[in-house]
Amino acid sequence: MRRAVGRLVPLLLVVVMVPVGLWGVAQAQAPKTLVIAIGADQTGLDPQTVENNESGFIMSTIYDSIVNYKPGSSLVGPGLAEKWEVSPDGLVYTFHFRHGVRFHDGTPMNARTVAQDVDRAINPQNPCYVLARKGVDTYDDFTYGSVKDGSVVKMDVLSDDTLRFTLPTPNAPFLSSVAMIWQGIVSPAATKQYNCDAGQHPVGTGPFKFVEAVRADHVTVDANPEYWGGRPKVDRIIFQVVPESATRMLKLERNEAQILADVPPSDYPRVTGNGALKLYQQPGLTILGVALSNEAGPFKDKRVRQAMNYAVDKDAINKGLYGGATTASQGMPPVLWGYNKSVAPYPYDAAKAQALLKEAGFPSGFTADMMVYGNPRGYNPVGGAKLGEAVQGYLQKVGINVKITQYEWGAYLDKIRHTPWEGFAISGWSGDNGDPDNFLGDLFEWDTAAGKARTNNNSRHHNPEYDRLMVQGRQVADQARRAQIYEQANKILHDDAPWIFMNHTNQVRAARATVRGFLLNPLQMFFHMEQVSLQ
Amino acid sequence: MRSPNLVVGAAMLALVVGAAIFAPQIAPHSPIDQAFTDQLRPPSPPHLFGTDEFGRDIFSRVLYGARIALVIGVLADGIALALGVVLGVVSGYFGGRVDAVVMRSVDVLLAFPYLLLAMVVVTILGPSLINAMIAIGIVYTPQFARLVRAAVLAIKEQEFVEAAGAVGAGVARVLGRHILPNILSPIIVMATLTVGFTIVETAGLSFLGLGASPPTPEWGSMLATGRSFMLTAPWIATFPGLAILVTVVGFNLMGDGLRDLLDPRLRGRG
Repeated sequence: MRRAVGRLVPLLLVVVMVPVGLWGVAQAQAPKTLVIAIGADQTGLDPQTVENNESGFIMSTIYDSIVNYKPGSSLVGPGLAEKWEVSPDGLVYTFHFRHGVRFHDGTPMNARTVAQDVDRAINPQNPCYVLARKGVDTYDDFTYGSVKDGSVVKMDVLSDDTLRFTLPTPNAPFLSSVAMIWQGIVSPAATKQYNCDAGQHPVGTGPFKFVEAVRADHVTVDANPEYWGGRPKVDRIIFQVVPESATRMLKLERNEAQILADVPPSDYPRVTGNGALKLYQQPGLTILGVALSNEAGPFKDKRVRQAMNYAVDKDAINKGLYGGATTASQGMPPVLWGYNKSVAPYPYDAAKAQALLKEAGFPSGFTADMMVYGNPRGYNPVGGAKLGEAVQGYLQKVGINVKITQYEWGAYLDKIRHTPWEGFAISGWSGDNGDPDNFLGDLFEWDTAAGKARTNNNSRHHNPEYDRLMVQGRQVADQARRAQIYEQANKILHDDAPWIFMNHTNQVRAARATVRGFLLNPLQMFFHMEQVSLQ
Repeated sequence: MRSPNLVVGAAMLALVVGAAIFAPQIAPHSPIDQAFTDQLRPPSPPHLFGTDEFGRDIFSRVLYGARIALVIGVLADGIALALGVVLGVVSGYFGGRVDAVVMRSVDVLLAFPYLLLAMVVVTILGPSLINAMIAIGIVYTPQFARLVRAAVLAIKEQEFVEAAGAVGAGVARVLGRHILPNILSPIIVMATLTVGFTIVETAGLSFLGLGASPPTPEWGSMLATGRSFMLTAPWIATFPGLAILVTVVGFNLMGDGLRDLLDPRLRGRG
């Protein structure tokens, strides 16, 4: 009997130790992986050569800019540069860089390497000059100006840690633009190694390092333990491409994904009604509307454009389709300084709309085309087709017969930007840099020098007084004075009614309740993911 | 009963045709009126099939959708039938080089998947319900052409046709009086069976955004809208889906029944 027990002891020990040991291993090694479900694939991960949200989502974990946005805001804070000065005339920006930061490939980050990367944005002699590359979308001229029209900045490396930009004319939004993810700094060694195209081999300085990208499936990034802002609290982030919104929702519910980048408004109750999930909402830095062809057809008449604004019950649509978005009255969202609080949205008043139409010579209405797109956008979570259908229903009641044609997103952009379209077109915008000029200037300004509408002035709005204010707004450095200018411009815009001003959607994301430290950002990017942990 | 298929199919179609004809009388609401206070309601007495995300009554939309499905389906079938009979007769009767050219072209068309070919045609013509109808008519033409050609080939060798030729009947008379009447029954059966397919394909094109434009209550586009609500409001996709099912099964059963009735080889059995 004794012998038998003696023989059993080691066996018992093993039986007891195996689970304990495994538990220890699990404790030591279980990598914390965060899965973020996104609706579409990235189109490239070189910041200077893309302009779409999905690429931005991923890049915001890989790169830093010279300055970064502060967590949860669109205000500029330190980035690769710890501090900076702006000359009183608003022309000279001097940046002082951090010490001891390295790119993920080991290349040291300093004023020289940063300048090497920025050089491809401003120097036509650079073999990797981005503006000369075919088939890329870039914000380089938006941020740094372009050689073509003499607006380009001059860049000087003053020392290993000091970089100076000199602007030809004051451009108040410059600092905000430098902070955009589209101006994230890429290792110049990587750009060289991949022959000017490191888009699928991104190397930055950010909290996460690129691991792999599988087309239309996923992108994996791993924690950068040496991150200057502190080691990330999760070990790995997988951005998983899941096109169907219903499938994305199921993945979140089954804990196969922990964060959803896009949530359709009809799913909000599903998230809020589930204790294991959390809905994140923030007033969006967005605007959505229906652009009217200001230079063609019945919409040449301001009264007709105003009538369109009266004819649509924007509040009902915003509540019904957009889960309670803020109704728009002017060219930019109320979260931004320069918003004119004394301008109220056009009320829903079909009789007034009909009276205006009669006055303008259309007593029995008219027929017009409407261009729409199907996919959801950051500023339009239900997609253009649904908004179009809702608006069509209201316009029919005042005698406007709308014929809807749907285009694929790429074709849609081409149509709305490059053809003299007439009628209605769903239009919207997500702020790039948190500056009013990025709404009012980009969307509604006439390029006086070129004698045509700016690229994204889709409605071809043209009002010389308004354009004068836009130029002035860029030249003044004082923010309080600029705010006054934009308030004035917004009043003009409301009266001009170049769009049916619809709404400012909330930025909405859903996550598991186990996700901690996750902050929305008005720019809709996944900034500061190093602060996110999984419980 | 001689052909239960025929009776059941005809009954199902009677239901659909009745819905189409009397839609304005039966429908409790307008099919396009939006109500943003009444969205995504589940089926209930005021809204038998529930409401969609615009607050529109799905029952009313399904009823009006029957009109579109039937008209477009039958017309598309008619286009395929007309083109197919002309090509088939010409090919079968004249033979030789004409036959070779027509039949090789038909083979090329048959080599493409139906929906893909229809999408190509719609892309060329521009997306609209009418163009979707034309596209589907073109896509189904080869089937008719082949069937008609085979039938013509079989008939034209028969003695009574040769006799007609021998007594001096012209081409038109031979075709019109002697050949076409004798190949009518397979054409009728085929035409009936094909309507079911043309309806499904039209719905398919609309589902892909290449057919009906909003706010037309078309079953395929209703399905497309409902797809993203399958988890939260399944009724949006379910009822137009059922409507397509009933219509297509109705046409197929009736087509089968007609074949039983009209095909001499099947006569007298059962």
